[in-house]
Amino acid sequence: MAGGRRASDGGAAPGSGPASGGRAAWGGWAILRAAARAPFTARTARELLFCLAGVAVALCVIGALFAAPLGLSVVARLADRRSPVPGVAPGPGNPAGAGLFAFVTGAVICLALALMLAPRTARGLSGAVRRLARRLFGETIAPPPPVHRRGWGPLGWFTAGWRDGPGWRAVAYLLARLPVAILDGYAVFCCIAGPASMTYPLWWRLFRNHPPDVQLDPVLVLTPVGSFRVATYAGTLVAFAAGAAMVLAAPWIARAANAADLALMRGLLGPGRLAQRVRDLEETRARAVDDTATLLRRLERDLHDGAQVRLAALAMNLGRAKEKLAEGGEPADLAAARELVDAAHRSAKHALVELRDLARGIHPPVLDKGLADALATLAANSAVPVRLHADIPVRPTLAIETIAYFCVAELLANAAKHSHANSITIEAAQRSGALRLSVVDDGAGGADPDRGTGLSGLAARVRTVDGRLDVASPPGGPTRITVELPLRA
Amino acid sequence: MRVVIAEDAALMREGLVGLLEDRGHEVCAAVPDADALLAAVATHHPDVAVVDIRMPPTHTDEGLRAALDLRRDHPDTGVLVLSQYIETRYAAQLLAFNAAGVGYLLKDRVADVADFVDALTRVATGGTALDPDVVSQLLGAHQRARGLADLTPREREVLALMAEGRSNTGIAAALTVTGGVVEKHVAGIFNKLGLPQAEGDNRRVLAVLRYLGSPLT
Repeated sequence: MAGGRRASDGGAAPGSGPASGGRAAWGGWAILRAAARAPFTARTARELLFCLAGVAVALCVIGALFAAPLGLSVVARLADRRSPVPGVAPGPGNPAGAGLFAFVTGAVICLALALMLAPRTARGLSGAVRRLARRLFGETIAPPPPVHRRGWGPLGWFTAGWRDGPGWRAVAYLLARLPVAILDGYAVFCCIAGPASMTYPLWWRLFRNHPPDVQLDPVLVLTPVGSFRVATYAGTLVAFAAGAAMVLAAPWIARAANAADLALMRGLLGPGRLAQRVRDLEETRARAVDDTATLLRRLERDLHDGAQVRLAALAMNLGRAKEKLAEGGEPADLAAARELVDAAHRSAKHALVELRDLARGIHPPVLDKGLADALATLAANSAVPVRLHADIPVRPTLAIETIAYFCVAELLANAAKHSHANSITIEAAQRSGALRLSVVDDGAGGADPDRGTGLSGLAARVRTVDGRLDVASPPGGPTRITVELPLRA
Repeated sequence: MRVVIAEDAALMREGLVGLLEDRGHEVCAAVPDADALLAAVATHHPDVAVVDIRMPPTHTDEGLRAALDLRRDHPDTGVLVLSQYIETRYAAQLLAFNAAGVGYLLKDRVADVADFVDALTRVATGGTALDPDVVSQLLGAHQRARGLADLTPREREVLALMAEGRSNTGIAAALTVTGGVVEKHVAGIFNKLGLPQAEGDNRRVLAVLRYLGSPLT
């Protein structure tokens, strides 16, 4: 799961400062301050370290790319040496065919070796990059499954390398990140050449012990966009300005490069989208199965301890009453029988209530008339006053309606129980093929899905149909909980 | 008859107490869980204990385990187990040890007060009381395995009633036939099952139950 996003400490990125429209001037100042501070943050150090590693990796890749033709040329030379008379046209006395054969064989072996080694090497190299990203940015990308080996012996080893999908994806990653490495290089260059250029005026002053009329050799100033020469003190000030610009720019170049690199990593090194989907589905399916089992167990328990007991007691009391009436018409027995029938009557009514509640818990009959009506019933029965805006033109499937209903029911119950809210607003709307429910209360806030099982249980249930549940509940309120569900599960 | 009752639902517990006291039996103790049951039996040494299978804390088979403990530690006390469901395995466990003084009934049977008190009395005096559901399940489970298929439908009926713990007279009354006919059927059953004829109702029932119960244990 590519859950962990990069940690964002140190200098705030532009735009992440206070960005309210009325305080534009303040916002601009904050951006300036952040920009000035950026080169000296720990985060920039980490970004630059990652860039440096990126350059090293790129050099390795380029080296490997050159190594392949080099190998071929070595093979060619060896093959050439094997032909008896070099440079002489092939004839009966000069079996150049042998040389050609040796060359082709060597080339094939070289190619095979490359095909076999490339995915494995790429796995190792990209694994190192992945580990570094985790250490520096907290970016967790699930490692690929180990090489799946079919067959035996060297052939099996070879085919395993050749058919190694994740390995080839790692190769693709290493090649795709070569352009990114140019940015990496710029960032590293800026943070070396920038400070160096900024020292020019100092050197100029220190070594200004030349006779007045002597023309000094111009000094070279390097920048990422070209180089220029300065020959005067004023010129060195320009060099200083260029250096300062480089130092200020370096963090942002590094960030851009690393952002691109991490995006490539997520795309090519992480589990593929299908694998991720399979993992999600497995998780939610297990959850759904568990939920069902738990629900059935709870139903059985409720029936056993509730209605069944009442009905058994009722039958027993009626049986006893029957006996009393059968024994004879003594007044004392009649009174006892009446008492027993009375108890049985009470038991029957209780059993009815319990069965009705249970049945409603399984499937609320009001849902048959649509989610909007069901929500209106919920709102009317809520302990806290509820305002409801429901606009559901297309009916979702029954499963979705049921989940939506129970979500809102539980959220209302939560709000009534924990938030001390005075009013609750429920909104239900359809937007771009999804059902969007929000429950907002003006209570104390501080609802945390990680604490307590209520909200996380709801979120899990919503996830089984690819929906999502978002909680915004700052301490002091208000609490807004949004549930988004597809129209059909 | 002196009785101890263990049942966690107060409604049922009080009903059972009232029912037995109406009939002039002495209820020494009515408790809501298994530990209290064991303690009460140790204190009062009743003739019989009525035990609900599902009791706190786990609401699974506390009552059954307590019943098995009672069978081992207090063989003189009959144990009548009550349950909302019939589990063949539980029946087999109860019968494995000894079928004397054991009962296993659905809670529904309590509604027929006379029959229930009858069954309880049977258990208290060392007899057996099995729910017709238990018997039919046990018979069903072994029909194929043990050649019960050889029995005629009538003989199977007689065997079922026998397994419930009824005497020949009781069986005759239930089937509205004469005692002689029942005896003939019983003899036929023992013949077909290859069981040696023994004396007395109880030993006969024991033989049948052991035959039914043994492969399950």
